[in-house]
Amino acid sequence: MSEARVWPAEADLDLGWMKQRGEWGMKATPSKQGLTLADIQIGSYGDPVDRSDNQTGRPRGAAARPNSYRIGGYAVVNKSEIWLENASFLYEEALQRQWSSATDVPWHTIKPLRDDIEQAQCQLATFLTEVEFVAGDVPARWISNTTPDYFEPRQCLLAQVMDESRHMDVFRKRALANGGGLMLTSGGTAGVVGSIDLARDFTEMSSRLHISGEGAVLTIFRMGELMAYNDAEKAIYRLCAQDEARHVAFGVMHMRYMHETAPERHEEIQCYLDEAERQILAGSQNPAGNQTDASEALAILLGGGKDKYDDGLNKLLAIRKRQVQEYIKRVRSTGFGARFDNGRSQLTEMLNQAAA
Amino acid sequence: MRFPSESWFNAVAEVFNGDESFQGGGGGACNTLMGAKVGDRNFLITFEGVECTGAREVKAAELEAADFYLDMAPADWRAMIQNIASNGHADLEYTLNTLDLDREQGLAHSVHGDQYREDLFFRYNQTLQYYFDASARVATEFGQ
Ligand SMILES: [Fe+2]
Ligand SMILES: [Fe+2]
Repeated sequence: MSEARVWPAEADLDLGWMKQRGEWGMKATPSKQGLTLADIQIGSYGDPVDRSDNQTGRPRGAAARPNSYRIGGYAVVNKSEIWLENASFLYEEALQRQWSSATDVPWHTIKPLRDDIEQAQCQLATFLTEVEFVAGDVPARWISNTTPDYFEPRQCLLAQVMDESRHMDVFRKRALANGGGLMLTSGGTAGVVGSIDLARDFTEMSSRLHISGEGAVLTIFRMGELMAYNDAEKAIYRLCAQDEARHVAFGVMHMRYMHETAPERHEEIQCYLDEAERQILAGSQNPAGNQTDASEALAILLGGGKDKYDDGLNKLLAIRKRQVQEYIKRVRSTGFGARFDNGRSQLTEMLNQAAA
Repeated sequence: MRFPSESWFNAVAEVFNGDESFQGGGGGACNTLMGAKVGDRNFLITFEGVECTGAREVKAAELEAADFYLDMAPADWRAMIQNIASNGHADLEYTLNTLDLDREQGLAHSVHGDQYREDLFFRYNQTLQYYFDASARVATEFGQ
């Protein structure tokens, strides 16, 4: 006997939902890159409001439901707080440029290394696993704090969390792949790196995370090719660097948007940059910075062993210089570069001293 | 195919476009105008979506349009291309990123100096590497 419910013959379907809808008749056409988020920014669906009162998780453009619970408690409800012009582009790029830490790294090329080199790789891998943890946790908190009306930056940050998750696992895998293991926790997540999480404003967070923090990590990943001892390590650093460059791009484009649209916040943002630069000068959040376990490990890897520490240290200083140069150029690209010409930033002085 | 020439870069593009494996493993959507400076010869190479849509020889001043351009002496280009040909891909010493790091002033430059655009060299690095690795399948002769 069938268990399907038997409806009385006179029961009618309630099709009221069919009349409740957003703008109708949309016909998005795929572009050269497939059907992207940019291709569906059509009609009223493409316009995020300047201020959102959406606390119910209603997808942007859908019809509102009067009896919805206020599930969100979203704190970021102003477009200007989180916006950037190319979030959907960066999101699609993230989707299409994913890689697998299990199969896209030629793990078989890792062969036994000298003890001091293996220990240094493992120390660095421990440090990076720890840092990636923060880089995933912090944006995740902001995603859940942002109204769904600004889904473009939200989705970009969601993709970042996925990237950071892969970075976390790939360094953990490296530490466990070649006779070593995880080493001493740096404590960095409780210190300066952790302070990224204390930011109460999205732009403050983004200036610390995307521009100064991940900008510095991007340089480390790129330099990773100099301290890689096999194709697997080269691939790890190269692929992580690509992801990192995308996260940095998010920060640069958000800050550029703030520069163009929020003149009343310029001085406040300059203060965030003051603070970021104090940390760059102190060097403590930065494995290429002052003496830390991670910076010693880097110097050993770059030099080619404990006995060549000084060579490694010289390369490390070159890396640090490049980190600062690239940071300065990125901030200039956002529009906030006057600080390097009017004496506000001490970084230019630091570079001049290094050159002298 | 003679290097450097417009037809060499386009032949590499054809190999690159014809092999779907170059779209995975960290490759994929790539949108940039890359320049290549080989001595006094200059080229612009366009990447759109998952394709390299073409290369053309240009005057030096036109490199300004590039997001970044790769600048090496002809002998260094030759060493890189020969290394790729003999391994099937660039080995440890000849990846673009390593060549960039080996040079005091780097391999990738720009006329405009905008770091956001220069960063595309890092953001798309694997795709650019795949592109040059594809040259292993183009029989190459050297000279002007
Ligand atoms: Fe990361
Ligand atoms: Fe990141």
